[in-house]
Parts: sequence; structure tokens; C-alpha cells
Amino acid sequence: MMDFTPEAKRKFDEYLLRMRVSMQGRRAVETTEVEQNVVEHVQAALAGVPSPVGPERLSEVLAQLGPPERWLPEDERPIWRRWADRFMTGPEDWRLAYISLALMVLAIVFVAVGGVLLVIPAYLVSRAYVEFLSDRGEPLGARKWLVLPPIVLLMVALGGAALFGPAGGFGAILSEVGLREFGWEWDSRADRMRIFTGMLSIATGTYWIVLSALFALLVRPFRALFQPLTANLRAGHAWALTAAGAIVAAFGATLLYLF
Amino acid sequence: MQMSDTFYDNWTTQLRKGLLELAILNTLGAGPLYGYDIVRRLGDVDSLVINEGTVYPILSRLRNEQYVESYIEESSSGPPRKYYRLTQRGREELRRMNSHWTSLHEAIGQLRKERAR
Repeated sequence: MMDFTPEAKRKFDEYLLRMRVSMQGRRAVETTEVEQNVVEHVQAALAGVPSPVGPERLSEVLAQLGPPERWLPEDERPIWRRWADRFMTGPEDWRLAYISLALMVLAIVFVAVGGVLLVIPAYLVSRAYVEFLSDRGEPLGARKWLVLPPIVLLMVALGGAALFGPAGGFGAILSEVGLREFGWEWDSRADRMRIFTGMLSIATGTYWIVLSALFALLVRPFRALFQPLTANLRAGHAWALTAAGAIVAAFGATLLYLF
Repeated sequence: MQMSDTFYDNWTTQLRKGLLELAILNTLGAGPLYGYDIVRRLGDVDSLVINEGTVYPILSRLRNEQYVESYIEESSSGPPRKYYRLTQRGREELRRMNSHWTSLHEAIGQLRKERAR
């Protein structure tokens, strides 16, 4: 038997476990025979490699063999069996994806009694699953429909709150009483609206410019939080928010200048 | 990826899967081989095997259906190896499959000729 480093051995054992799980319930396929062939294949492919074989060399051979879950067509097993297997046979299949979907469904069903909080564990499960597939070099494929909703929801909620939440706060501060405290006076309702909008735009625009600088500094953690949606996000994209902030602030300044 | 690329990729994937059994049986038609050797020979055929592991469940199924049989042979360069060879039933089935493949190939060729006219 070939010698592996502990990490390579763990990787190989994990791969063989995935193989055994994916062969479960397949008619006319003997798991032990397939496993024996896979072990022989790996030994033959790594013949001549100095022992102990490390995870990198092993990974190359396993990548050539491909994911065991794809070795046989899906439709060989009854549909109930496929669903049950995916759910019961561990994270190497679709279990985490279904758990994430179940949490999202519960969040919607129990929204009236705080079920929305379940979006957070759903997000964590989805994010872990994305990372898991990434480690295995597998694309999300159709699983994106199960996994991405909590990530999208949380990204939109947090992104929306970060962009527009403070604008609401500025609006409250700049209410009619607040504007008078700033020393503004007006004759008509239209003038009041113009002052209010102008001040709010300047505050929001300035905030966006500051936020864009923060975003440029913290783009890495932000990108990691919402993978794979933010995979292509770069610090340079902060310029779009800077430009939007500058335009909004300039619009506000123009309104006040006209007044 | 364009839609036509997706269609083409799906089509070639299905075609490869459908032809793999025929390819394995033909590979064994030349004589007994062990698993890794079958994979290597199929790997030489351009874009026939994407995931090498797909060969092994097919070998197990072919053996269960008695188209091939296996035996263990000592190897000079390592542990004993599991060899596969065609059974009589496998040879007959391979003949039928090859004949069907030839008919299909000719039929498609005929259709292409007609289109070219």
C-alpha cells in the first residue's frame, strides 16, 4: 500500500467515502469493486512519486478522476431515494443546500413571529456550503437556487441599510424644527421642501463619499461575506459610490444656492 | 456562455456518456486490461473521458451483466491488479453494438450528404 502524508490520507479517505455514498442504491454497481479500482488507479498514477505522497500530488490524480457524484447518471435511482440520500448522507452531497432552503422557508412561514431571524443561520449554512464546494473545486450549478437566496437577501438588506439607513436619520434631524435650528427661514412650503431636500442631499452625498472610502478599505471582508455574488468586486468599484455621492451632494448644494 | 455553447456542451456530454460503454468494450476487445490501463487508453481518445472515474462504475456494471469478467494477476511493479476481459456474451454484445454504431454513423453521413447537395 502506498504511503501518504496524514493530510493526503485524510483527503483520500474522504474521497473514498464520497465515492461509497454516491454509489449507494445504484443497481448493478458493486461499491467494493469500484473502490478497489479507484485505489489501484491512484497507486498506478502515483507510482514513481517519492513516499510519502502529499496532498498536492494526490489532488491532481483525484481531479482527473473527477467528483464521484458525477460518475453515474442521476436517473438510475428512484427520485425519493435521490432526495433522501442527498439529505441524509452528509455535507458532501446536497444536505447543506437543503438545510439552507428549509431555514429560508421557515423564515417566510414564521415571519410574523420573528422568523426573519432564521435568515441569519440560513445565510451561514449557505456561505459554508459555497466555501465547501469552492474547496472541492465544484461549481454551484443548479444548487445556486437553494443556496443563494439567503445570501442575496442579507446582502440587499445590509447594503440597503448601509446606503439609505443614515439618510433616514439625516431626514429626522433636518425636520422642520431642525432646519430652523440651523438658522434657515422660508416663506412657502415649496421653499421649505427645497431647503430640506438640499440639506438631506448634501448630508447623504457626503456620507456616501465617506462610505465609499470605507468600502475601498474593507473590500476584502465585504467580498468574503457575500461570496459568490461579490467575487468580482474590487476596491476600484468604490469610485461609483464616490461619484454618486458627489452628484447627490452637488445636487443638494445647487438647490440651496438657488434658494 | 452562450446558449448555443450550453446546448453543444450538453449534447457532447450526453454523447460521451452514451458512447463510453461501447468504447470500454472495444478497448477490451484487444485483450485483457486492468482498470488504470483502460482509463489511459480511453484518455488517448480526444475528449471521450472527462472524469476518469466514470469508467469504474461502468466496468462494475458490465461485469455484473456478465459482458466482462475480472481476475487478479500479480504485478511486477506493485500490488496485484484486477484485470478485465470480455466474456463470450460480451463479444456478441460488442459485435451488435459496433454494428449499430456503424449503421448510425452511415445514416448521419447520408443525411449530411443530402444536406450538402
